[in-house]
Amino acid sequence: MSNIVSCRNVSKVFGHADLAVQALQGINLDIHAGDFATLAGPSGSGKTTLLNMIGALDTPSSGEVVIDGQPLARLTAAQLSEIRLHKVGFVFQAYNLIPVLSARENIEFVLELQGVPGAERKERALNALADVALEGLADRRPAQMSGGQQQRVAVARALVSRPAIVLADEPTANLDSKTSEELIALMYRLNQERGTTFVIGTHDPGVMAHSKRHIQLLDGRIDGDGQG
Amino acid sequence: MSGTLHSFIQLAWRNMWRNPRRTLITLVVVSAGLWSILFFNAFLNAWMQSSKDATLKLLIGSGQIHAREYMDNPNIKTVMAPPGARLRAALERPEIAAWSARLVLPGVIQSEYKTRPVNIAGVDPATERRLSSIPAKIVRGRYLNGVDDDGVVLGLHMAKRLKTGLGRRVILMSQNADGTVSEQSFTVVGLFDANQKTEDFYVFTGRAADQRFLHLNAEISEIAFAVPNDADLDPVLTRLRAAAPQLDVRSWRQLSTYLAATDSMMRGVIYIWLAVVFSMMAIGIVNTQLMAVFERLHEFGLLRALGMTPRRVLMMVSLESLFLIGVGCLVGMALAALTIWGLRGGIDLSAFAKGLELVQGGQVLFPKFDLASFVVFPLLIWLLGILVALWPASRAAKASPVEAMRHAT
Repeated sequence: MSNIVSCRNVSKVFGHADLAVQALQGINLDIHAGDFATLAGPSGSGKTTLLNMIGALDTPSSGEVVIDGQPLARLTAAQLSEIRLHKVGFVFQAYNLIPVLSARENIEFVLELQGVPGAERKERALNALADVALEGLADRRPAQMSGGQQQRVAVARALVSRPAIVLADEPTANLDSKTSEELIALMYRLNQERGTTFVIGTHDPGVMAHSKRHIQLLDGRIDGDGQG
Repeated sequence: MSGTLHSFIQLAWRNMWRNPRRTLITLVVVSAGLWSILFFNAFLNAWMQSSKDATLKLLIGSGQIHAREYMDNPNIKTVMAPPGARLRAALERPEIAAWSARLVLPGVIQSEYKTRPVNIAGVDPATERRLSSIPAKIVRGRYLNGVDDDGVVLGLHMAKRLKTGLGRRVILMSQNADGTVSEQSFTVVGLFDANQKTEDFYVFTGRAADQRFLHLNAEISEIAFAVPNDADLDPVLTRLRAAAPQLDVRSWRQLSTYLAATDSMMRGVIYIWLAVVFSMMAIGIVNTQLMAVFERLHEFGLLRALGMTPRRVLMMVSLESLFLIGVGCLVGMALAALTIWGLRGGIDLSAFAKGLELVQGGQVLFPKFDLASFVVFPLLIWLLGILVALWPASRAAKASPVEAMRHAT
């Protein structure tokens, strides 16, 4: 099974000298194509920091991260942007849709950054909305949708660019249990049907119940990695 | 790229209206600032035009020609011959609306009560009527009838000083061509009402009568000419200098240095005003855009997380400034054009007539729409505005995607 992400001896230190905080310590981790992995651990265990490294949002203090065969060390801010644009999809806890754009426009926006032509862009955006069962809400702005609907649009946005990996950081934290269950079921279905690789940072037992692989973090180290 | 640009334009336009109150405040600042610059410029131009009309049309004209030594030492020895064929041909070109040959020399005027130094101007009434506003400023009696008219026209203030009046006789004295002093009685036939300086320094009589009085043949001391279009003046001066290289050809700027200095100062004032207004606008623009950027720092981090490069974030925020300042400029231009149109009948400043005379201004100003100002000033404001807005935009471009993730979790 090919690796989508490889972390080798990844450490991350925030701050300096006496105030230094060791957020990650010597992480070695491979994420395989088709994984539906959950990243769990108590607050401060390093989940978000590790997701940031895997998503090319941040660079390690030491060690190496490789995404889809591309080492991230020594890349410029603009080059890291390109990696995120083409290889990584994000789903955030707070939905993070652009408020002045409609659901369709939010999804199209990523494709526009990729330079996808207009007609294809629109078709793919509408298909992505259909995948998350929101085709009727294409022209609604985020403020006109529920939290669950916004998060499904965020999932559609993460998937529409056909990324190598989708990273979701506490995607169900702001949703009620029923909506959370529906969202996870949706992500799981997309993983099963399309083989999309998901890594989900979560505390939610409902999310962990769906995972095929469970990675446990504790104090910046991997405390366990096994079948879900 | 064009698709992305279209999307950025759409996004920037919508973002501009996310906080309508703040956007409207900025629009008011930009439009009011530009309105004040454009209107102030039109007002000052009207003032300058009025000052020029009031001063140059009295006697000076757009320029004058003299013998080389005349301006330094105007006397009977520094007169010149009437214009020859070549100079006359240059003076008859269509750019010159009118010209008039005069004999203007210093002398003395005497009434029964007072004696005053004065410039005695022998003129041709026919050509003066086309060139000078003095004939139209006769308030009592008449203007001169011809070059042989040996009546004298005085200013109201001079008549008051001399305690003389219409129909009374005054004595004019001046050095003549023989080197002696001519002295002759002239009847006051008319009184003119101009500014005090002209009234005190000039008296007018027929040119031929003046030449006879001073024992001259056809000699004159100056040719004044009017060029209606300022842009034609320099080429006209060049042609006249070529036609009469032995003579001293000067523009009104050299003849009336006060007026020229006022003209330059007013042009300077508009740029000082531009700098003051723009400084205030720049503070408003930077403040608004910084607030807008700080409020949306999380969102810029998100855009960076989604794969937008720092350069594209900079471009998007700059587009917002471009729209904001551009709309403000359009509104300011429209308001200024409406104001100028509304005042096309003139601004009556007669209540300040005495003060205006001191600064050589006219009493009614006519602001005019000046296309060049309506292009240059808005463009300058727009470009400078975008330039200062680059600072907030660069802050947005530096937004960290990790910060966005932190906000999100």
